[in-house]
Amino acid sequence: MVSKDVEKLLLKVQKPGRYVGGELNEVIKNKKNIDVRFAFCFPDTYEVGMSHLGMKILYSQFNSIPYIWCERVFAPWIDMEEEMIKHNIPLYALESGDPVSEFDFIGFTLQYELSFTNMLNMLKLSNVPIKSRDRQELKQIVVAGGPCACNPEPVADFVDLFFIGEGEEVDLEVIELFRQCRNEGKTKQEFLELCSQIEGVYVPSLYDIEYNDDGTLNRIISKGSAPAVIHKRLMKNMDESYYPDNFVVPLVEIVHDRAVQEIFRGCIRGCRFCQAGFIYRPVREKSPETINAQCKALCKNTGYDEVSLSSLSSSDYSQIVSLLEKLNEWSKDEKVSISLPSLRVDGFTDDIMNKIKTVRKSGLTFAPEAGSQRMRDVINKNVQEDELLNTCATAFEGGWTSVKLYFMIGLPTETLDDVAAIAALGQSVVDTYYKCPNKPKGKSVKVTVSASSFVPKPFTPFQWEPQDTIPQLHDKQLHIKESITTRKIQFNYHDADTSFLEAVFARGDRKLCKVLELACQRGFHFDGWNDCFNLEKWLELFDECGIDPGFYANRRRSFDEVLPWDHIDYGVTKEYLIKECQKAYKNTTTPHCRLKCNNCGAAKYGEGVCFEKHQNMV
Amino acid sequence: MKNIRIWFKKDFECRYISHLDLNRCMLRALHKSKIPVWHTEGFNPHPFATFPLPLSLGFRGVNECMDVKIEDNNYSYEDIISKLNICLPRGIQVFKVTEPVMKAGKIAFADFSIKIGDNRTSSHIVYKQLEELLSHEKIEIEKKSKKGLKTIDIKQGIKDFKISEMFDYVQLDIILSAGSADNVNPNLIISALEKYFDVCYEVDITRNNLYNSDMELFE
Repeated sequence: MVSKDVEKLLLKVQKPGRYVGGELNEVIKNKKNIDVRFAFCFPDTYEVGMSHLGMKILYSQFNSIPYIWCERVFAPWIDMEEEMIKHNIPLYALESGDPVSEFDFIGFTLQYELSFTNMLNMLKLSNVPIKSRDRQELKQIVVAGGPCACNPEPVADFVDLFFIGEGEEVDLEVIELFRQCRNEGKTKQEFLELCSQIEGVYVPSLYDIEYNDDGTLNRIISKGSAPAVIHKRLMKNMDESYYPDNFVVPLVEIVHDRAVQEIFRGCIRGCRFCQAGFIYRPVREKSPETINAQCKALCKNTGYDEVSLSSLSSSDYSQIVSLLEKLNEWSKDEKVSISLPSLRVDGFTDDIMNKIKTVRKSGLTFAPEAGSQRMRDVINKNVQEDELLNTCATAFEGGWTSVKLYFMIGLPTETLDDVAAIAALGQSVVDTYYKCPNKPKGKSVKVTVSASSFVPKPFTPFQWEPQDTIPQLHDKQLHIKESITTRKIQFNYHDADTSFLEAVFARGDRKLCKVLELACQRGFHFDGWNDCFNLEKWLELFDECGIDPGFYANRRRSFDEVLPWDHIDYGVTKEYLIKECQKAYKNTTTPHCRLKCNNCGAAKYGEGVCFEKHQNMV
Repeated sequence: MKNIRIWFKKDFECRYISHLDLNRCMLRALHKSKIPVWHTEGFNPHPFATFPLPLSLGFRGVNECMDVKIEDNNYSYEDIISKLNICLPRGIQVFKVTEPVMKAGKIAFADFSIKIGDNRTSSHIVYKQLEELLSHEKIEIEKKSKKGLKTIDIKQGIKDFKISEMFDYVQLDIILSAGSADNVNPNLIISALEKYFDVCYEVDITRNNLYNSDMELFE
């Protein structure tokens, strides 16, 4: 619902449809019957935030509880922000139009480090004090979750509590505790202390950090009854986990404008650069019957004619072919198409291709991640060059003429030769096309090669690695460019400046809070967008705070250094990560979870792939 | 199979979505409602719908229409209305289904009700300014087109108008050329007003009805 004051601004800004709510399936409740109001904030634009599955799940789940009203809040784009400031209109929630400052909970999902400034800016636009200690009362509780909460330290001063791991259960436990505490007249401090006793809740103000003279951490001390280690939460049975049968259907086009069906969590592969591959362990699948029923319900209730099957690696779903068969039984009659993103190079079989081809011929994207076989072994990608070429040949024979290939540069132990191999691999794909006897007639091939820069992340075997400096990354980008000799390859690369800042915050500690506070004062926002990001300005901020960003991004850490996230447990042991890192240096791969259990530690949850029966299990 | 014309209002939040978004919204509602509309026969079949005259973003529409083909000639119009409305956001609501009488190309005029004013200027001043503006022989204004800026005379496109002074706004009821040939967007009248008098008002535009060249109601 939009207020009269907001309506006056709407015709002055681009895409006003993102600021009005009123979509099909939005949840409107009567405030009289509500005990707890939760503002679910996505620190990016409406189009990006509305595409996020986690928000859809939690929005529906919270609203399924009669006493909670969960509403959505997105970051207004810069033109709207300017108008709102000019006309003194605070940030509001889409459903009720009420100011965010009136809510009991202000929750953020932290999907990428460069959205940290947007989180602070959204608090500022709501007229809510950004620092936790400046919010004394039992209201406006700022909570955060999502992958960036695995190292919450750079935003520890601002957030009252973090949800570690999957939110379906722990979020509701905290909301219920809040309701009790308020009824009993408890203070915010008492509430936070009680929260810290819930598994999966991290209250940063209950921990002190001691530093060494060189700026590294000495130790992390928990105060009072706060646990020394915070263990992540996870859903043990995916078939019984809450899943919405309904999405809010946006009025304006969003990034992923379709129904999304989660098929499993986690990934069996363990690519060594990939944070998601470690923090979501172990793999837990939904049954084909559950997926089929949930897909049907979603299409029926939203009117979407496209469903995307979502996971970290769709072709690793153990019953993918029979699932697609089940879906195909009704999807054609209902005129619904099924899309299967996140396909692995070695998972694109004839069988799968024929099943997804019946509905929509979109582009094909594969991620070999590295050009040379040695590099792919270092990162444990477990993909061979001929597998990629065979897959491309399958696709070309199936009528595709364009392929996108994703790579990373700046990986540990990488040389210029490894980088040149990226261009060579692109060339081999082009050659494969022309060798295909059944390639589409009279059409040329287009191979898009994209290179992003490696960002070392917490809870991966590469968490101790230095990131390449910006000049090193520029050299490597140039080297690829010069190694490409055909115009059939289009080369894109990711801006190294943003990757650098991402690396600083990904493995940062609490000293970075003051940089972010200053950034917020100076009006930084939308740093994930080229329209706004400016590294020069960030370097000035670091300088003013007396902080060297290279200390976080470009320094090699030793295995015995205390890391800022050492008090947080995602199930995979540090010993395992060290072992994996050492294997990387020896170019040795690790078999995936279904071939062999490598004792990473995730089996302690007693569920998922660790307990599947495998024919090959030794 | 027969053609039908579905009549709806576009208001509230849905005023702020573009024609493209409206189209997407309608296709999704048609899909969801399972009304037997004819689908395109390409690789990705979707309901086939056309809009006789798109409505600009920000306008309210009280008599908007969309044409579709329906495969079951005996399908009840009441059912179409109720089924579609369940599948549409509250800002878009269907109220009538008819068989098209005129083709979309016959549209020649549209009438609008425009509320103009703000809380700083008395409505009498706005009234006088509008009266003066609309009394000119020519009202020239620069219009952005694909080929760049060009100057057009919008006076040619004004068929009739009435200005009423209300307590805190002025209402302009105006009939303008519409359709594929000489469309005049009422925003151009507002731009002209703002340019001639160097002012900036709040406006609220509603499109009421469409007409053919003989000023017969478009049906």
